[in-house]
Amino acid sequence: MLRRILGLTSGRIAVGILAAVALLAVFGPLLAPQDPLAGSTDILASPSARHLLGTDYLGRDVLSRLLAGSRLSVLGAVQVTLMALVVGVVPGILSVYLGRGFEWVTLRLADTLIALPFLVFAVAVTALLGNGIPQAMFTVGIMVSPLFFRVSRAATLSVARSPYVEAAVISGASIAWIVRRHLWAKVLPPIAIALANTAGVGFVVVSSLTFLGIGVRPPAPTWGGVLASDLGYLSYRPWAPLAPTVLIMATVWACNLLADAVRDVSGEAGRALLHTRTIRGRLAAAGRDA
Amino acid sequence: MTIPETIRKGTTMTIARRTRWAAALGAALALVLAGCATDAGSSGGAPTLRWAVALPAHWDPVVSGSGAQFRILSLAYASLTEIDEAGKAVPGLAQGWDYNAAGDEVTFHLRPNLTFTDGEPLDAEAVKRYLERAKTQQNSALFGDLTSIKEVTTRGELDVVVRLTQVDYQIPLLLGQRVAQITSPKAAQDPAKLDQSPVGAGPFVVTENVPGSHVYLAKNPDYWNAANVHIDRVELHAAPDAATVVSSVQTGVYDLAYLEPTQVKPAKAAGLDVVFQPGFNASNISINVNKKPFDNPKIVDAVRYAVNRQEFVDKVTFGYGKATDQPFPPGYIAYDEQSANRYPYDPERARALLAEAGYAPGQIKLDLVVPAQSTAAEIVESQLGAVGIGVAIKVDPNWSTPFFAKDLTLSLYGTTGRESPVQTLTAHFGPNGPLNLSTPYEPDGFAEAVSLARRTPLESPDYARNLQAATRAGLASRALVFTYSQPNILVKSTKLSALPAIPGQLHWAGVKVTP
Repeated sequence: MLRRILGLTSGRIAVGILAAVALLAVFGPLLAPQDPLAGSTDILASPSARHLLGTDYLGRDVLSRLLAGSRLSVLGAVQVTLMALVVGVVPGILSVYLGRGFEWVTLRLADTLIALPFLVFAVAVTALLGNGIPQAMFTVGIMVSPLFFRVSRAATLSVARSPYVEAAVISGASIAWIVRRHLWAKVLPPIAIALANTAGVGFVVVSSLTFLGIGVRPPAPTWGGVLASDLGYLSYRPWAPLAPTVLIMATVWACNLLADAVRDVSGEAGRALLHTRTIRGRLAAAGRDA
Repeated sequence: MTIPETIRKGTTMTIARRTRWAAALGAALALVLAGCATDAGSSGGAPTLRWAVALPAHWDPVVSGSGAQFRILSLAYASLTEIDEAGKAVPGLAQGWDYNAAGDEVTFHLRPNLTFTDGEPLDAEAVKRYLERAKTQQNSALFGDLTSIKEVTTRGELDVVVRLTQVDYQIPLLLGQRVAQITSPKAAQDPAKLDQSPVGAGPFVVTENVPGSHVYLAKNPDYWNAANVHIDRVELHAAPDAATVVSSVQTGVYDLAYLEPTQVKPAKAAGLDVVFQPGFNASNISINVNKKPFDNPKIVDAVRYAVNRQEFVDKVTFGYGKATDQPFPPGYIAYDEQSANRYPYDPERARALLAEAGYAPGQIKLDLVVPAQSTAAEIVESQLGAVGIGVAIKVDPNWSTPFFAKDLTLSLYGTTGRESPVQTLTAHFGPNGPLNLSTPYEPDGFAEAVSLARRTPLESPDYARNLQAATRAGLASRALVFTYSQPNILVKSTKLSALPAIPGQLHWAGVKVTP
């Protein structure tokens, strides 16, 4: 699928940005030119050779804080996504097979979770369980999981009622075999789309919470935290919010772009579209050669 | 050339449609403008003060306590005494007072014909009942301030006799706006209702209170100094985010607001009046010596030497404050010059003290519990971390409960001070002082030094010396490390006349708002 995604311009852009963000998450703290926690007397300084993005209200290098803050922001988004995936997909598939009782309970639970405002709920849970990203992201992951539940359940339902699955059931195939043999291939593409979308949501949520000072202990840097602290000093550094904003925006945009690309290349229509593009490309190349 | 009928008709219809749209748009605009006009002139052109401020959670002064909210409550309540620009006690509801020869009894003489806004008489009995309520009500936040008062009696309708547990010449300062905002005894029969619907005898009376949104007040014609109140209406609005305060005042949404030091520069650039009001503010690092590792005096000393106060002044107050190592700003009568810079910034010495105490760098790990994320907390974390004391900032929105229960090990506090310097000292260093995180710890010699300061008449030539000696004795406390002092900073529109420079308080007599 990755090859097909990279065949699309939007897919290449999305993967490029997300790869860069992943690199920042892994190597960001090492790339930071200065100690992101070390203050100085040079507060709210403008960009200079020493501080490429200036300094904050305690004289800390903003570039270093953004680089060092990448890991926490990315890990938070990943945690939301994985939590939602695990909590949503498994019951989503099982709700089709485990009888009416389980179906009714899971559907009502999903309805309930959808009705709750997850950001507010995350704030409440961190107040109860302690102010930490894992607690907040655990909560948000559960709140977002109905998306995966519904997507996986819809895909499972469409496959479960197909003649070849019914034939397999009549032939005495186990549910595990049916899921492994017939279901995964059909369920995975929509889940992949939901996964990319949820990663984007995760970035927004983690940035929002850290913007509010929730989920992270100061002075630990995060993208949202850097943005929040910049807003208090707009009269001194009006351009300062640009850097964290662009980072957050580009990452979320890349996630959404990736979701679109996955949607475009998955399924029969996607494969046909890609096939047509490939043929057109070959014809164009042949024309140039001639 | 004739215009075909259909075209003329179409043109006419288009013009008619445009006219209708224009009329509708004009009507909508008029409505919006009318709405704005109604809002701006809701007081019918009367001088109105719009003040953006943190709205009080409690309107009963007994429950609200002697913290900063007394400034808002003073709109609705009048106090027994007031202070002047020099910080001296001057008449309020009481037009005078006399001490007995022994100094353990003071009689306050009330002004005649005072009434509360519910029509009840404000007489000696009302004052007596207020002070007794402040001493005995279960949720009173003032009882700790009134330990000097043994008994309150009345003599006739206008004299309130306050008998003291000890000789104490601070009582007229004590019974000012922070502690003695007198409430209607009739309204106080239902303390829960009074806490949301104030009934006092202040310059204004609350006409509408929507918690978390706004409070409207109208001038009280029966206020004892009503002739000097030139504002007819006050609108309190929940304070906006600090970053938007300047634009809010600049655009006329508010006339007055507290200002963060970071916003002084843009406020001045916007042509607004920035008021640096004198006060008694002082911030500190609160330490619990009853808990490890602060039961070891060397660790406390390490903290004392680790603190670079100038960094607080530069980064928290943006240069508008002063470094202080006492619960008062430098220059105040109780500020003790002899104690100044007793523990200068010396990180090397701090590290050596930690080593002497047997701790390796990073071995001590503490939670710094604060009510909200703050620059000061980050500075403390950084400065203590630099000498090897690991500090993790823990934001607890319910911080006040463990703080005042003395359950925390390390915290931050900023006092707005007290009119009575002795009250400030006992609040910080006394065995049951609310700001003493190490209760019942009290530094040696403090009780005696404070007692002497209490016993010294305010006009005595020994007063300043005895007061400073009490400060010196208090500063031996290992429970507090003072860091910086900052004035109260307000921004006001040019419509509002100058505010009286009463230290730590806001007085409205003489203040005018140009409509």
